[in-house]
Amino acid sequence: MSAVGTTPSVAARPATLVSLAALYRLMLRTQVSLSRLLGIGALSGLAILIGGLAAFDSDPAQAAADAVSGFGLGILVPLATVWFGTSAIGDLVEDKLLVYVWLRPVARWQLPAAAVLATLTLVVPLTAIPLTVSALIAGSGDVALATLLAASFAALAYSGLFVAAGVWFRRAVWWGLAFVLIWENVVANEAKGAARFTVAGWASSILGLAPGIDVDLEPGSAAVAFIVLTAIAVAGWLVATWRYRSMDID
Amino acid sequence: MTEPGIVAEDVSKWFGPLVAVSDVSFDVGPGVTALLGPNGAGKSTMFRMLCGLARPSKGTVRVLGRDPRAEPWVSRQIGLMPQQESVFEALTAREFVALGATLQGLSNPDGAAASVLERVGLDPSDSRHLQAYSKGMRQRVKVAQAIVHDPAVLVLDEPLTGLDPRQRMDLVSLFKSLGDEGRCVIVSSHVLGEVERLGSRVLVMSQGRLAAAGDFHELRALMDDRPMRIRVRTDKPRELAGALVEAGTAVGVRLEGDGVLELDARDARALARALPPVARERGARLYEVHPLDADLEGVFRYVVERR
Repeated sequence: MSAVGTTPSVAARPATLVSLAALYRLMLRTQVSLSRLLGIGALSGLAILIGGLAAFDSDPAQAAADAVSGFGLGILVPLATVWFGTSAIGDLVEDKLLVYVWLRPVARWQLPAAAVLATLTLVVPLTAIPLTVSALIAGSGDVALATLLAASFAALAYSGLFVAAGVWFRRAVWWGLAFVLIWENVVANEAKGAARFTVAGWASSILGLAPGIDVDLEPGSAAVAFIVLTAIAVAGWLVATWRYRSMDID
Repeated sequence: MTEPGIVAEDVSKWFGPLVAVSDVSFDVGPGVTALLGPNGAGKSTMFRMLCGLARPSKGTVRVLGRDPRAEPWVSRQIGLMPQQESVFEALTAREFVALGATLQGLSNPDGAAASVLERVGLDPSDSRHLQAYSKGMRQRVKVAQAIVHDPAVLVLDEPLTGLDPRQRMDLVSLFKSLGDEGRCVIVSSHVLGEVERLGSRVLVMSQGRLAAAGDFHELRALMDDRPMRIRVRTDKPRELAGALVEAGTAVGVRLEGDGVLELDARDARALARALPPVARERGARLYEVHPLDADLEGVFRYVVERR
C-alpha cells in the first residue's frame, strides 16, 4: 500500500480504451430496461407497418420517404434518443450514483463519450434499422440506404444533445420531449428558414440523397448535413464534459 | 516526520443562503479518526470536499499534499464510501466492485473484487443483482468498492448504519486493521457508542462547525458531566421546584408558566427517582416529565457552549 505521509506516485491509471469500454458497458447496462425497449420497439413496429402501407401507394418511394421524414426523423429517432440519451448520465445524477465513477482516476471526457456511444448503440438498431426495413418493404432500395444514413446521423446528433441535457438539467427527459415536439416539429415545419437550426431538417437533407424524391425540409446539401450533424454531436459531448468536470457531485 | 493524510484549512461551503460548513480546520494522520455529529451537522458535505466531489466555497483541502478537486489523479489514493444507499442495481456485487477496480487501473479487477468481497464477509460468487441485497449487504459492498484499490486515504460516511451487531463488530475491526496498517481512515457517525468502538481520536461537528477535536474519552467525560434539563408539567410547580432544590436533586429551576418548569439536574436518574415521592408529599399531580436534551444535538450544543 501507499504509505500515508509520502508523496503518492502519480497514479497508475487505466488505459483509455479499458476505462472507456468499462464505462460504455456500464452505460448500456443502466440504460436498458424492459419498459424502454418495449416502448421504442412498439414505435419501431409502427414504422414498419407504415412502410407496408406505403408499398400500396401509387408512388411508393415518395410515400416511404414521406413516412421516414415525418414519422421516422420527426418522431421515432428523436423520441428514442431523448429516452436513452437523457437517462445515460442523468439517471446517475438523479440516483446519486455518479460518485462511483467520478472518484476514479479517469479522464472526465470519457463518461460523456461512453454515454453518447451507448445511446447510439441502442438507438440505431431500434430506429434506423426498422426505418430502413420499412423503406425496403415499400420497395425502394435508394430510399432505404438514404434512410439508414439520415436516421443514423440524426441519432448521432441527438445523442450528443440529449446526453448533454441529461448532465445539465434535472428531469431532462421532459425538456427533451418539449424540444422535440415544439422545436424539431412545430417550429421547423412552420417557421421559414428554421429547418437549418434543427436536427430533423439536416437529417432530411441526407434523406434527399435518394434520387427522384422530394423532401419538405432540406436546409442544405447532404455533404453539409453530415458535417453539421457530426458537429452537433461533438458540441453536445464537449458541453457534457465541461459540465461533468465542473459540477459538484452528490 | 510524516505529513497528515488530510488537511482542511478554514473550509466553508455554502449553498445560496445556507451555510453547510463554516470555517472548519483540522488535520488527520494515519490511523482511524471518527467524525462525530448529529444529522445535518455538515459531515457529508465535509467528506465530499475532502474527496474533491465538491469545491469549498472558501478555504483549502489537501489530501496527501494535493488538491483532490484540481488533481483528479489523487483519487487513485482515495477510497470513499458515500452515505447514500443507492448502488448500481443491475449489477452483481462482484461486477460493481470490479468496475471500481477497472477504473482504478488494477491489472486483475475481477480477482481484486472477489478478494475484497470476501474480506467484508460477502460471497463473491453470489449471482444476485444488488437490487436483491439487504441494506447491511449493500453497506458492505460499498465498503468493498472503497477499499478495492488499496487506497492510502479512506473516507467512510456512516458505514455502520443498517448493520447488525455482529456485522458492525466485523467492520469496526476491519477499519481498525486498515488504520493500523498506516492508512488514514476517517469515519463519520452520529452514534456516540459507535465512535467509542472506533478509536480514541475524534472530531465533533455541529451546525457546520468543528465543535471539538481530540481524545474521545476526554470528550465523553465532558459530556457525562453536563447537567441534564428536564421539563415537568404539574399543578403545583412552585412547591415542587422548591422541594427538589431543597433536596439537592435539582441544581437549577426555571418556571415557564402554565404549570411548566424546567429543571437542571447533575444526576438525571436521581431526579427521576426523587420526583414521584416529592410530588406525592406535596400533593402535586405530574402531567408530563420529559428530558429536553437527551439527544445528540443537545450533547453537541453543550460541548460547543463549553468550548
